[in-house]
Amino acid sequence: MNRRLPNSVGIGLRAPHVSHVLASHPSVPWFEVHSENYFADGGPALAALDRIRADYPISLHGVGLSLGSTDALDTTHLAKLSRLVDRIDPAQVSEHLCWSSVTGRHFNDLLPLPYTREALDHVCARVSTVQDCLGREILVENVSSYLTFPESTMMESEFVVAVAMRSGCGLLVDVNNIYVNARNHGSDADAYLEAIPPALVAEIHLAGFDASGPCLIDTHGAPVAPEVWGLYERALRRFGRVPTLIEWDTHIPEFAVLQREAATAQSYLEARLAVAA
Amino acid sequence: MPSLRERQTRFANALLQGGEDSSEHIAIYRNTVFSNYRNALGATFVVVKQLVGTPFFDTAVDAYALAVPSTCGDLNVYGGDFPEFLASYPHAGDLPYLADVARLEWAVDAAARAADPSGSPEALLAALAKVPARQVVGQRFALDPSCCLLRSAYPALRIWQVHQPGFAGDVTVSFDVAPDYLVVRREAGGVIIERLPPGDHALLRTLNDGGDLAAALDAAVAAEPDFALEMALGAHIANRTLAQLRSN
Repeated sequence: MNRRLPNSVGIGLRAPHVSHVLASHPSVPWFEVHSENYFADGGPALAALDRIRADYPISLHGVGLSLGSTDALDTTHLAKLSRLVDRIDPAQVSEHLCWSSVTGRHFNDLLPLPYTREALDHVCARVSTVQDCLGREILVENVSSYLTFPESTMMESEFVVAVAMRSGCGLLVDVNNIYVNARNHGSDADAYLEAIPPALVAEIHLAGFDASGPCLIDTHGAPVAPEVWGLYERALRRFGRVPTLIEWDTHIPEFAVLQREAATAQSYLEARLAVAA
Repeated sequence: MPSLRERQTRFANALLQGGEDSSEHIAIYRNTVFSNYRNALGATFVVVKQLVGTPFFDTAVDAYALAVPSTCGDLNVYGGDFPEFLASYPHAGDLPYLADVARLEWAVDAAARAADPSGSPEALLAALAKVPARQVVGQRFALDPSCCLLRSAYPALRIWQVHQPGFAGDVTVSFDVAPDYLVVRREAGGVIIERLPPGDHALLRTLNDGGDLAAALDAAVAAEPDFALEMALGAHIANRTLAQLRSN
């Protein structure tokens, strides 16, 4: 499959670094961008992405499709995603296992789902619709959460795996989110990893959280925590060598800081390769 | 057991106003949601934020987000109604120019996202040359998709300019000036703001609203009695403000 991402560590490309990447062509195996940031009809941001796409594989990562919402699927949003997919021919397309909108109001945030049979049926149908519209498989990503719902009848890991098994999508496993949720809800991060069939995992995300409040907040605004590096190492042991992304979305540092984080992740990937050899 | 719909509706209500499900955990989501809007609008309405200061700006954005919900999963397009909101925001009553500065900033933001130009001045001139002379006044023109025409009773452009990073020089803004007639549009090098003579502004506004050249000329002459059509038309075709003929 020529569409696959390289089995190495990419960087989440955000607006403050675009001109640096265009000017200096850093050695980065692939970039991921937020799809919605390129929904414009034209203009310099889209033109810049075209130029970057000419030199690097690109993954399109959506933050606004509201897959789990009980509102009708936003066909305008989906059409814009489809237009962007056609334009960029990305190596991967992903979205979040969450909801963001209800009764017409969008919260533009990744809100958690209850893990029920009803939610599973609903999300699976929506993932299938999206995949049919785009004409390709997508990946869905587990989100961080700060509360759980009493009506949940499944573990989060069960729910995530069931979505992939039933809808035929792949998984984007956010190792940081697994850690954050385990700490916030007192669940077992390693058991979560054990519940995921390795064949479903097509990408891993790593980011930093904020531990200053009553629970861990997934801010994407800090270096990857030592405990998350440990969990990442165990994830690689289970899943094998999987394309991995460093994400940083708030208090975005200099590009070199992201490259150092990526180099650290790359060393874990190489170590996994050495073990496997 | 609540249905998924009930759960989402309840969660949304609790997030917005604090309800039966409200808790410190919902408050985390509330903080994230509102700070996302503050950051997103703060990145677009940079000068507005400088004019009023961060606490005022954030409070205004919170009120806006409650009054005019985001309806789109693309946060980049949220905020188009913020200028109108500011125009009637009671706490901004003594800053009557604020909404116009906001309109200018939104136009700059929207211009950067507009479709790329199609056609060329040469193609438009060639198309015009094919129109029989007596039918020229009946032609309608499409403006470049990035164009936005603004009129302000205040020196909106001057206020915007003195708040740009790197602005050096006298920051005094005189309010004893004629209205600002502006066009915001995107050229190859980026988004630009130009001050137009009132006649040119009336011409372009009428054409943008779908009027034909005769109606646009009437409006231009009404705004500026010695308006020179040929020169204005040539200039706005050459700089691509006028993009193509509309099919009548």
